[in-house]
Amino acid sequence: MDVALSRNGRRVLRAFFVLLVVFLYAPIAILLLFSFNDSPVPAFPLSGFTTQWYRDFAANPDLKGALGTSAIVAALSSAAAVFLGVLAAIALVRRRFPAKPAASALLLAPLVIPYIVFGISLLLFFHATGVPRSLLTVVIGHIVITLPYTILVLVPRLTQIDVNLEEAAYDLGAGPFRTFGWVVLPLIVPAVLSAFLIAFTTSFDEYAVASFVVGTRQTFPIYLYSALRFPSRLPQVIAVAVVVMVASLLVVVGAEIGRRIAERRLGTITPS
Amino acid sequence: MRLRSAFATTTLLGFPVAWLVVFFVVPIAIVALYSFDVYTLFPEQHGFTLAAWRGFFHSSVYLGLFWKSVKMSLIVSVVVVLLAYPVAYYLALSGTKRKYVLLLILIAPFLTSYLLRVLAWKVILGNNGVFNSFLVWTGIRSADHPVSQLLYSRFAVMLVLAYVWVPFVALPIFVSLDTLDRRLLEAASDLGASRLQGFLRVTLPLSLPGVAAGFLFVFIPTVGEFVTPSLVGGTSGYMYGNQIADLFSTGFPDWETGSVLALFLLGVVAVLTLVFSRFTQMREAP
Repeated sequence: MDVALSRNGRRVLRAFFVLLVVFLYAPIAILLLFSFNDSPVPAFPLSGFTTQWYRDFAANPDLKGALGTSAIVAALSSAAAVFLGVLAAIALVRRRFPAKPAASALLLAPLVIPYIVFGISLLLFFHATGVPRSLLTVVIGHIVITLPYTILVLVPRLTQIDVNLEEAAYDLGAGPFRTFGWVVLPLIVPAVLSAFLIAFTTSFDEYAVASFVVGTRQTFPIYLYSALRFPSRLPQVIAVAVVVMVASLLVVVGAEIGRRIAERRLGTITPS
Repeated sequence: MRLRSAFATTTLLGFPVAWLVVFFVVPIAIVALYSFDVYTLFPEQHGFTLAAWRGFFHSSVYLGLFWKSVKMSLIVSVVVVLLAYPVAYYLALSGTKRKYVLLLILIAPFLTSYLLRVLAWKVILGNNGVFNSFLVWTGIRSADHPVSQLLYSRFAVMLVLAYVWVPFVALPIFVSLDTLDRRLLEAASDLGASRLQGFLRVTLPLSLPGVAAGFLFVFIPTVGEFVTPSLVGGTSGYMYGNQIADLFSTGFPDWETGSVLALFLLGVVAVLTLVFSRFTQMREAP
């Protein structure tokens, strides 16, 4: 006898799981359906197949510019966040110091701050210090938001790595840079990559904080938000939504599978 | 352990901590200065006062809006936990071999664009949107009587927020159930407990830290939400976060009052986080 579930209980829960997955994917499927619908208004009945909205979006310089801007912002902020995250994670895992609980509380605090509060804090900060709002101010904000995510990804991986490997490198005369570059880094590469991807997707999609500190050049979410006020642009927005959603799904799922495979291989040289 | 010739702890921690102090702690401190009128948007009215705080606690509008947001957010959090729990239970305890694949399927939508998922519901819920036009097209309702007030309502805000957060909440609940020692359930069963008793007295109490974490994961971002209500909420779905955003917008800015509203929200969230993390740690200790 199964102690957790009866046979009927399992059936009911499986049906519930399927229903919830349908609920989660139906809106995405509806966007996909209407992105190919030959009508400027997304409504039933369907009026025919078209790829016009995808061509419109491919020909829209503002939209493509906003996508490019967001890619730059996300790349810069996630690279910086991963760099800071690696430093912080090594300190938290490998060092003992009295203020550790306070340090880790500070490092993870941006996870729980409501973004509206952080957004206006940055707005007032840049106002008080006289820094003009620009893409740089968005990057600064996104580094703060994504730093805790990188730490949360890196810390579990670092704790798996045998500290004796580093000891051995030092015994053999390697300095801290060589030890990090030749011993630690190769072992945490999968975690570093997945930290980068999580930070990148978070920044690419971030609207709330960016809306308070963005300058004249729009990021993609900012463009999207303003485009939602014009019904005439809706079909294009739906097309670009489909492209972005499918791309991010593929990247995220691919990255997760890749990380699992890589860590399984690397895992053989670390104690479990 | 302290490794010889390794990087000093201060070198490692210096950069990330300094970054957060300058761009996270100091900005919040500046909000506090604004809330006490030490800094002001219009420089002529300087000086420390409690006027903005007094105004806030005497204002039925702001506090009313705060309670409305708390209520909406509580409903969303409870509904989302109730939806996520059985699903997490199924994945963790049904013995299915593909539980990590199924978990990824469940969570993947959460990892796609937030704004675009809200957009999808805007397209679905409109008066002439996908849902209503489907009802008309299939003859369930006549074109003159659409199901109105789907979009731009409190209901729309709560529906979209629940939709957005369900996958994420399943994660901590799954983790707490997945690490559950099945032998405890077997022991309960050997001692004559039914499955329901085993669930109520073993599984449920042991999974409460995951439930608490999941609840907090939804409540914190939704209580200060302003993006979703501004897109699908209309006037009846207007939340506390919208009020804060409006006080900083270009129309009639009032940065002092806005700072008070923001700090109040931050305080409530901070207290909740501390209480919940204490609760979670207590439960985890053997």
